[in-house]
Amino acid sequence: MPEGCLRHDRDRPLALVAPGKGGARIVSLNRAARQGGLVEGELLSNARSKVLDLQSRAADPGADAAALRKLALWCLRYTPTAAPWDEQSGADGLFLDVTGCAHLFGGEARLLADLEGRLRAFGLYPRTAIAGTAGASWAMARHGATDCRIVASGEEGSALENLPLAALRLSQATQTLMRRLGFKRIGEIVDQPRAPFAARFEPEFLRRLDQALGHAPEPLVPVVPPPAYHARAMFLEPILSQEHVLEAARRLLRELADALERDAVGARVLRLLLFRVVSETRFQHDSGVQSLDLGLAAPSRDPEHIARLIALRLDRLGDRLETEFGFEAAAVHVLAAEPLSERQERLGMDEGSAPPEGLAQLIDRLQQRLGSGAVCQLHPHQSHIPERAERIVSPSPRFLRGEGQWGEGTAPRPLLMLPRPEAAEVVALIPEGPPRQFRWRGVLHQVAEAQGPERIAPEWWHRTAEETRDYYVVEDAAGRRFWLYRAGLYGRSAAPPQWFMHGVFG
Amino acid sequence: MRSVYNDNAGPRMSWLQNPSLRPPHSLRRKEGDSLAALRRVVAKLETVAPAIGAQHLPLGVPEMQAHLPGPGLACGVLHEMAAADHGDRPAAFGFLFALTAAALRSRPGPAVLVATRRALLDFGRPCGHGLAQLGLDVGRLLIVETETDKDALWTIEDALRSQARPAVVAGAISGNLDLTVSRRLNLAAAAHTTPLVLLRTSIAAGTSAAATRWRIAAAPAARDRFGVFAGPRWRVALERCRNGRPGQWLIEWTHVAHRFRLVESVADRAPVERAGLRRAG
Repeated sequence: MPEGCLRHDRDRPLALVAPGKGGARIVSLNRAARQGGLVEGELLSNARSKVLDLQSRAADPGADAAALRKLALWCLRYTPTAAPWDEQSGADGLFLDVTGCAHLFGGEARLLADLEGRLRAFGLYPRTAIAGTAGASWAMARHGATDCRIVASGEEGSALENLPLAALRLSQATQTLMRRLGFKRIGEIVDQPRAPFAARFEPEFLRRLDQALGHAPEPLVPVVPPPAYHARAMFLEPILSQEHVLEAARRLLRELADALERDAVGARVLRLLLFRVVSETRFQHDSGVQSLDLGLAAPSRDPEHIARLIALRLDRLGDRLETEFGFEAAAVHVLAAEPLSERQERLGMDEGSAPPEGLAQLIDRLQQRLGSGAVCQLHPHQSHIPERAERIVSPSPRFLRGEGQWGEGTAPRPLLMLPRPEAAEVVALIPEGPPRQFRWRGVLHQVAEAQGPERIAPEWWHRTAEETRDYYVVEDAAGRRFWLYRAGLYGRSAAPPQWFMHGVFG
Repeated sequence: MRSVYNDNAGPRMSWLQNPSLRPPHSLRRKEGDSLAALRRVVAKLETVAPAIGAQHLPLGVPEMQAHLPGPGLACGVLHEMAAADHGDRPAAFGFLFALTAAALRSRPGPAVLVATRRALLDFGRPCGHGLAQLGLDVGRLLIVETETDKDALWTIEDALRSQARPAVVAGAISGNLDLTVSRRLNLAAAAHTTPLVLLRTSIAAGTSAAATRWRIAAAPAARDRFGVFAGPRWRVALERCRNGRPGQWLIEWTHVAHRFRLVESVADRAPVERAGLRRAG
């Protein structure tokens, strides 16, 4: 359904057109137009002469693809694997892998009924089918009879027997050739020997047949990568308040904890998906999915700890969590998991030692409340340039044990370093000498003693326009110490070298 | 003047003023004991003061520790400090980091430094190599930068109460501490008796329930025998101390031994005339 289209009368014939050979050609038709005798690919001018009150709109494949993607995201409430059809299957449908998800709805028939009902409420005309293979379900949805839409696994052969060959998603050339050879139904080719087909037709043909019958796999390209572990819940009544969301999340996490424990892994990255109740008009604008991503410093499967982090994140979101009419479903996906073995309780653990996960949980809580960039650690880095000699990294409990090679170099380094060196006006006795007085941030300081210079040249392997720096540690009469440098050497360039303040000592 | 123990009219001097009325020697010793016992009872009643025998952070300067109630900086209570002047704020940070280094040396666990963005705005962020030269174990330092004071205080409280059991929690906030906030921090620090030192960048002080309040000013650094700057020096003034006495000292930090060293005691001399540095009392 193209975005922004005017409400059109469904009983009148409508065609979507795109430029083609000889003029505008019809790309797709609605039911009324098809009943009028039009076919796809026809010239619009011809079609107008056949059906007088034909409405036409320009086809917008980009908008169609975007709308289909939103529909796929909306369908995540049924299953984490929702895949739009590829080019050969058409641009107007989805595959949903509902293995293991049907029990939440009370069976496959109820799931189909629920899905169809909701899609009809959006104003779409869906055709759905459930089968053991993707190919069979596509065939049943597109060409099958309306009353038997669920195919039990193993019975694909009998279900597909009477369907036309177009249900196998073959190319036009193959279909024309098969028609000429006299094959009309899938049942006619299933029992034939395969070698003559393989010799005359493209290998695609046999592959599609095998995929439909379940003898060959068909990988789907889901709209979002499906997680390794997931749990979902649908609510009878939409939930609105934060406490209810937290309680639902806690229950889902407890379900997940069992699965994680069975595999001896802990979650590192989690995603909480909340599915909003979406009305028909709203659906065109967003798919109604709100997702919160959580990253943990150390793998964990403790439901209470993760629930506390979710609470902190919801507090931080505050008003930006759009509830509108409430959430009707929630799901938790574990996007990344790492091995987490059982921790053995040490015999006679002393009182003062902290449990190792205490630090990881503290880091997680702080990151959730303040943002992931707020908590950091310093790591040394191999560089002479002072601002590159250390890196700010996100903390990991493994590193907070006193490792790290902070070289006790003889050159003094300031306690606090300015993020960017600030210009200072310096008066020195001789041009290359130490400063005697300087003005920084409007305050004049008299230098009692200056020590240095420490020469730091730019790294020649980085082609930068930096200049050689001569650093001085200067102390004024009050005892405050500063780290000044002169950038550039005399005689190299026409302008005299500039002085900068880079840090202060404690 | 009436004596407390005597309802009768007429001036009767109490036994303290009249030597002949003083009790004999044996009774006097029992009163000394009873005074000590009374002190212990009062100390137990004061909910915020740590119990006798609680942990302390050794400072290494006996003259300073004589003014404090215990053999060092008490753990499990809030210690507040401020710079004497705006330009002395790096010196106050230096003192804060020196205390952090001393705590990391003597206690296990990580150190958590919580600072608001405004507190770090003027003079920049801590430099790892500079901290290492002060003797601080940078691998055990966790730095948290927050936007507001409220977030910083929440972080400090969470870190104190968490199961992570940090060795020390150091903070730098831009506002002032009031009575409620400081009492809350005292209670949080007492949960696991973690030493808590807080630097406030506002010069003026408010009422707070901190156990000690310090004021730091910069002093010319010590030189080694070649004349190169060796250890930092500060003029520290203990402005307020619960169960202790105020005082002023000029101390130096030795990063090798992770302790302070007294250079000279300023308390006996006239207070140094400095902008903003006032004698407490």
